[in-house]
Amino acid sequence: MAEIVAGFGMPHNPGAPALVARDGPQCETALYYADMAKHIDAVAPDVLVIFTDDHFNTFFLDNFPTFAIGIAEAMAGPNDQTPMPHYNVAVPGALAAHIRSSAIAGGFDIALVQDFEVDHAVMVPLHFITPQMKIPVLPIFINCLAPPLPSAQRCYALGEAVRAAIREWPQPLRVAVIGSGSFSLEIGGPKIPPGERIAGTPDPQWSQHVQDLLREARIDDLVAEATTDRMLAAGNIGGELLDWIAMLGAVGARKPVTILPQNDHGQAFVAWRWN
Amino acid sequence: MSVYAVNKLCHDALHDLAFREAVKRDPAAAIASRDLTAGERNALLSGDVARLYEMGCHPFLLAYLTRWDLFGITGAAYNKRIHTVGEARK
Repeated sequence: MAEIVAGFGMPHNPGAPALVARDGPQCETALYYADMAKHIDAVAPDVLVIFTDDHFNTFFLDNFPTFAIGIAEAMAGPNDQTPMPHYNVAVPGALAAHIRSSAIAGGFDIALVQDFEVDHAVMVPLHFITPQMKIPVLPIFINCLAPPLPSAQRCYALGEAVRAAIREWPQPLRVAVIGSGSFSLEIGGPKIPPGERIAGTPDPQWSQHVQDLLREARIDDLVAEATTDRMLAAGNIGGELLDWIAMLGAVGARKPVTILPQNDHGQAFVAWRWN
Repeated sequence: MSVYAVNKLCHDALHDLAFREAVKRDPAAAIASRDLTAGERNALLSGDVARLYEMGCHPFLLAYLTRWDLFGITGAAYNKRIHTVGEARK
């Protein structure tokens, strides 16, 4: 009875809040996030579900889940010293527990996480699109950083399972789903460009290609092409595409209403809205 | 498990301020009690990020060291050395 009413994909660069604070509301990053925020305001969701990848801040390599759902009444962050305000936001714990139970019954193995903080991958998007933090946020964590990664097919199916679980929920909630992350990004590995920085965008063409597939709602093709090897060829953080693919499983094969590219940073801001 | 110890050390550099300050003051003493192989210890103390990467350290964590130039690893030094991954080195 609850329904998914919109989908969004956007990056979560930890430098973005400080960049916008410095360059002001007319800089490109501010304008693109503002466009997403405008859509969120128009959609007026009761809940935001965010598919996110922890960067070893919520979890560590001692116990790193492939899939996890945060079940609590609230969460805080960022917990990784990202230069930005610190926020607390409500989590719809009962809905989160229901989604996890439903997905487990549907054959997914989802870790239980009940006491957690979240990093920039959750808090940077929220900082821009819902800074009042009035909408409850439900985090679903996907391992995008520590190979072996789950397959794109599996992540898409997870998104479908999340949609099915939401539709089973007896209250008529309006749910928007978000995929957090970039398409091409290398941090600290040999694909960074020569110079003084430790990050770079190895494959801006892949970023453009992903957007071309999204524009045409060629989601089957995207899932088929998004092998671990192909994603990581675009950078060691390229697995973040899996967050988007899970979001697409929840949204279904639709064309977006807007695509705002930042290919020199291997990323984009995309919105799906219908009815 | 000891590549795990290097990953953990990099993670602690971000999350444990006392450890980070200890590394700045006296890197060898700061990591003396950590469960590192001689190779890992030497690689850290000489800032050999290429070797650490080749050993399997996660680059996202390894790059943290450049935020505070830990073990003398500046961004420029990291960048130069990481591009030697896979090459035969002295």
